[in-house]
Amino acid sequence: MRDEIDELLRSRTDGELPADVEDRLRRRLLEFRTKVEQRRPSRLRAFTYYVLSPPATRVAVMTAVLLVGLAVGLVLLPRGSRAGQVFAAAAAQLRNSQSLEYTIVLNEQPYVGVDFSYLAPGYRRIHCSWGIEIRTDGTTGKQIVLMPAAHAYLNESGKTVESQSNIDDFSAQLRSLPNQADDFLGEHWTGQQKLVGYRLSKAPPNGSIPNLKMLDMWIDPATREVHHVDITVQEPGKPEHQMHIRNIFVGRTPDRALFDLTPPAGYRPLVVPNANSSSALPAAPTALRAEIRQTDELVAVVVPMKGPYAQTAAALSSVQAYLKLEAITPVGPPLGRYWSEERWETGYPVQPGTQVEAPFQVVSLPAGLTAVVVVNGPWVKDTEARWGAFLKSIVEQGYVPSGPTMEIWSGEDGQATQSTEMRIPVTKAN
Amino acid sequence: MNDRQQEYQALIAPIEDRMMRAVWRIVRDPDDTEDAFQEALLTVWKRWDRICAHPNPHALVLQICIHSAHDVLRRRVRRGRWMEAAAVPEEIPDAAASAIQNVSAAEQNAAVFRAIGSLSKNQARAILMHAVEEVPYNAIAAAMDCRESTVRKHVARARTKLRVLLSQLIPTVQKEERSHA
Repeated sequence: MRDEIDELLRSRTDGELPADVEDRLRRRLLEFRTKVEQRRPSRLRAFTYYVLSPPATRVAVMTAVLLVGLAVGLVLLPRGSRAGQVFAAAAAQLRNSQSLEYTIVLNEQPYVGVDFSYLAPGYRRIHCSWGIEIRTDGTTGKQIVLMPAAHAYLNESGKTVESQSNIDDFSAQLRSLPNQADDFLGEHWTGQQKLVGYRLSKAPPNGSIPNLKMLDMWIDPATREVHHVDITVQEPGKPEHQMHIRNIFVGRTPDRALFDLTPPAGYRPLVVPNANSSSALPAAPTALRAEIRQTDELVAVVVPMKGPYAQTAAALSSVQAYLKLEAITPVGPPLGRYWSEERWETGYPVQPGTQVEAPFQVVSLPAGLTAVVVVNGPWVKDTEARWGAFLKSIVEQGYVPSGPTMEIWSGEDGQATQSTEMRIPVTKAN
Repeated sequence: MNDRQQEYQALIAPIEDRMMRAVWRIVRDPDDTEDAFQEALLTVWKRWDRICAHPNPHALVLQICIHSAHDVLRRRVRRGRWMEAAAVPEEIPDAAASAIQNVSAAEQNAAVFRAIGSLSKNQARAILMHAVEEVPYNAIAAAMDCRESTVRKHVARARTKLRVLLSQLIPTVQKEERSHA
């Protein structure tokens, strides 16, 4: 039985459509039909409606969307937000810390690294793997450069030493990190320790790492201390290079003896070009400018040695005698390579493929980027001063030593035509 | 015949007359009817792909037309325009009984449309689809994108509201009122 309200509605709304109104509406319909027939099909939209149309599918899809939304809202976003707080806290620790220690590994193999110690208000100590140590007292503007290999030191007062600038930049970089990273790299486990990573895509203000591609910081979320930093540098036309900052200690008071500007016992003062002429120190050699170039591979017969370098002449004579006995003709002047007094070697270059017996050895000196300078004059005069000036020139040109020192001695013994070619493998400092 | 022509033939062509009449039955004014119809066609155009994929496209199109017509009616009721534009004849040819009946019928129609215009959108759509267009509940539910029980509720509430508003036009209600008196 129909409801009386329904009946009422039907009867009151009943009525024929007037012809003139019908004409007007039919014209509208015709326009509409034309538009529909010209309409471009949207397969994607049609498919979406097709999928969403059945209520069961729609419920499933809506539930899935809601769950994803919940996951993003409750898990991922807060995690990123918490992680952002970790980065900000770590950056603040670095910024506000009274002391800072770390090691920059410029190159893994061969190892080129720098240990850095900082203590407010301005004490710095830089210890380079290539045998230079720089101690600076920012409160007095004094600085001492130690060269343990040569048992020599250099005093500089109120001057900026070029070799220090890059390391200071690193320090400034760490102490001026922004409060927000560019990217969150997620979590990473090192043994039992959980680390969270952040990426900075451009160098922070006050720092200057040329051609920096990315700086990845790995932070311990529990302590909010930086565990290590991976730095990727991309120089134009060269492969990517990775450096690392490790052994980072924030707020741990370093040994104050590290900043002592008193020269250690047994060290002699060193004079470099442009040093104070009124100094009572011996006269400096003429200005040395290291030439950075690619050198070829060199094969040599050497005798491995240990002990004072003064044995060089005797060791060289033994090699010479052996070569003469074996009828091996040297192809160049004698040479010596020095790591330390615990390890060095001297000998003659020979043809590749030469065979020798112990204690002599055939060694191959690899080709590579090398700093070279030739000094005319007696082989053994002012050795420490020459090397000090040579190393300073290398660092001033933006390179750092990456291998043992080497000398090639030309000319005849006891004659005025003697010259020494000083060499050391180098890499570009960043 | 391309895909779109086929779609039109399947979806709109069979119910063209019904669409026009559905709008006219509610609006009852040539200009407003055209506006409402145009509005309905625009909505259909926008939702064309959805309508093509809909399980009951005819009910959906009719629902769009009724919704559009009801919108016009609601606006008119809100503006208090109904009586001036409604079908109360301005000139009554003579004072015969039929003329009085005409005026009375026009007033009753105006009351009915005013009552429809005062319904909520969902109630109006549900009861007009069910009572006037005689669309089954399940098809209305599909068109309104809700459950059948919800449609029934809308219809029931609309009836209750209309029963109160139009009590003077319903014989049983009048009878009950008289007996109470």
